[in-house]
Amino acid sequence: MIECRNIQKNYGGVAAVKNVSLRIEPGEVHALCGENGAGKSSLARIIAGITRPDSGEILLEGKPVTWSGPQQAREAGVSIILQELDLFAHLSIAENLALGNPKLEKSKWVSRAALHDAVKPLLKDVGLDIDPSLPLDTLSVSHWQLVAIARVLGIDAKIIFMDEPTSALTADAVDRLFGLIARLKARGVSIVYVSHKMDEIFRIGDRVSVMRDGALIGTEKCSETTIDQVIRQMVGRAVLIQRGTLNAPSETTPPVLELESVSTRKLRDISFSLRPGEIFGVAGLVASGRSELGRMLFGLSPITGGTVELAGSAYEPADPRDALSHGVALVPEDRQREGLFAGMSIRENATLANLRKFSHATFIDGAGEKAASTGALERCNTKLAHDELPVSALSGGNQQKVLIGKWLMTEPKVCFFDDPTRGIDIGAKDDIYKLLAKLAGEGLGVIWVSSELPELIANAHRILVLYEGRAMGILDAATATQEDIMRLATAHPQLIS
Amino acid sequence: MNYLKRHGQPFLGLLIILILGAILSPHASDGSNVFISPGNLSDVLLQQSETGIIALGMTFVIIGAGIDLSVGAILAFSGCLAATAMMKWMPAATGAGPILLAVIVALIGGALVGAINGWVITRIGLQPFVMTLAMMIGLRGFTKWSTGNVNIDLGFNPVDPNTGLVTHTPSGDFCQLFSDKLFAIGLWAVLAFLSFLLLHQTVFGRYLRAIGENEKAAGYTGLPVKNVRLLTYIGIGVLAALAGMIHAARSHQGNPNDGMGYELDAIAAVVIGGTALAGGRGSIVGTVVGTLVLGLITNVMRLQLIDSNIEMIVKGLIIIVAVWLQRRTQATAS
Repeated sequence: MIECRNIQKNYGGVAAVKNVSLRIEPGEVHALCGENGAGKSSLARIIAGITRPDSGEILLEGKPVTWSGPQQAREAGVSIILQELDLFAHLSIAENLALGNPKLEKSKWVSRAALHDAVKPLLKDVGLDIDPSLPLDTLSVSHWQLVAIARVLGIDAKIIFMDEPTSALTADAVDRLFGLIARLKARGVSIVYVSHKMDEIFRIGDRVSVMRDGALIGTEKCSETTIDQVIRQMVGRAVLIQRGTLNAPSETTPPVLELESVSTRKLRDISFSLRPGEIFGVAGLVASGRSELGRMLFGLSPITGGTVELAGSAYEPADPRDALSHGVALVPEDRQREGLFAGMSIRENATLANLRKFSHATFIDGAGEKAASTGALERCNTKLAHDELPVSALSGGNQQKVLIGKWLMTEPKVCFFDDPTRGIDIGAKDDIYKLLAKLAGEGLGVIWVSSELPELIANAHRILVLYEGRAMGILDAATATQEDIMRLATAHPQLIS
Repeated sequence: MNYLKRHGQPFLGLLIILILGAILSPHASDGSNVFISPGNLSDVLLQQSETGIIALGMTFVIIGAGIDLSVGAILAFSGCLAATAMMKWMPAATGAGPILLAVIVALIGGALVGAINGWVITRIGLQPFVMTLAMMIGLRGFTKWSTGNVNIDLGFNPVDPNTGLVTHTPSGDFCQLFSDKLFAIGLWAVLAFLSFLLLHQTVFGRYLRAIGENEKAAGYTGLPVKNVRLLTYIGIGVLAALAGMIHAARSHQGNPNDGMGYELDAIAAVVIGGTALAGGRGSIVGTVVGTLVLGLITNVMRLQLIDSNIEMIVKGLIIIVAVWLQRRTQATAS
């Protein structure tokens, strides 16, 4: 029905999709799974006409096609429901459904009553019994997802790509969605179901394709494979992990941070304790709550239940200022938006959190600032001849070190690193591992979120695995394998043999 | 040298206007150049001191990614407040008492209006444009209503025509002091110098630039985002009040209808001076130069007896050209 051959897509020298060939049969539910960044969403976007491949071809019913954009793909029957829903918050449900739908949009003058009549069956199909004149922003995220699905139903799609459709759905909405998928399948519609949730894949999938590092690893019938096998394919062959030399944190020092069944809006019952000098890894798939843990510790997400103790006394930060004054720092995930001041110099970025330390009666002591900046950069093993240059002139790795240096200058007791090696080159990654080990050696309590399991296993003491805001287990990094972590991260602990 | 390279553009514009002015200038009966005479140039400085002082405050507000449209209304409000204090509250008093009262009341009034703007913007979260637009309209209305839409005359120090003796009245002295060229221009210069130090040498200035550049990251860095922004609005309120007193002194009255459009002149000066409306980046020197450019353009054209409506067309063009040139140099720099 639809087939892609040798699809390749590179982003700045990194292959997001590597020579992938895949065939989707009519009326099948084809699961596409892989770890974060495996290339599954990129592939879906290419086939649905949102991104253009660098090379390779797409065949629809045997004929080669080149999409000029998603609109053309949609008109040919290939639709996609994106993870970040492309809906219009200020328009009504009916108007959202009409946009991009040639049947509902065909006359310039739309009769409201006729439009509402036309969209009601679509909404009923997805189980939404709701007034179509309501503006979308009055609905919950779960309902947004259903509206997005209804929109695709309205265009008589032959193939529907669904990218992590259940991430925002409640349990009964998931059941309704699966019922809908079964009905669509009976009508001969193919569904490509992008997900990393094993139970869902095996509940509705006919076949499952696994991607890893942009490449297609294999396609199997769901009835002929097992969850264990799929997880092994997602993780890859046993990677030779070079474990770094880490000093074990002292058993006698009291913990610097203790969480006792802590809950927030997105976390449930998290308990662990962190010793000074320990590198505590946090693993989990997207939306597992791993960043939320940092937001909670940094006063950005209020604690709704449980207790946190910092160095022996109760800790409930009101905001980042409060957290910093208690000795908790956060190196944020989104370097550009949450960390850097792109128009300011390296020095100004490095010293911003500590300006008061080298200022007299609000006047900044230039020499003191320069010395502090140099010191902070040296502590991060970075030597830059000119720290007056704009920080935007640095590579991603060096920018990350400037940010880490900035936080270290506040002399924190606990520092939460949210995926600090994301998007930086291998040499810089190695520097970050060494830096984390050195900081732990100096007695800092390190909490380290990472998307890359091998680096966590090699460089952390213990690893907490999260799934939908819950702690699935805390593993000893010295003995943990990637499969162990992935089973917990996909909520299949019972399969550990 | 580096400084000139980065900020040279407004200076170049200023130089061009000065040369143009000197060439085009009419000559006095003794053959001297009217434009470059100290009297003419200091008149320009005095005229621009009101806009110039407000523009200093506007630079801080804009660097913090805000805007303040209410400064013209604050100017009229504080001018009327000072006049009311002298003429209505202490009409019979002599000496420095009424002047002191007028200055204090006007400054507190300006600060209070700024604080209300800043509080609503940072604590309730209204957009700066909306809040200060509402204040511009509302405060203007309040000032007109509370004065009965009547100018409050400050008068002159009476001079005995026979003896030539001057009788000092508080309001007359107030006008003499605040409209004095040396005082008004000196005040502007001192405030400009202090603003320069505040922006480039202090913790506050650094925080403000960071907040304007990336508010989210500033919050994550633990900076007092709301209070820093609040202070910029209080600051511009105080500066607008000072400008209001100079204005009242120069016109010898508190006029509830004065200062209309001053907010736009101040914004124009800031923009010509190279401060980015998106926030995070700006310069006090640029703002001073921008203020001078606007004042000199007016002066050159008035000396040519050009229609004042054409003057506005030229001002508009200058804003466009100045910002266009800045964008070009920034593009080549990066």
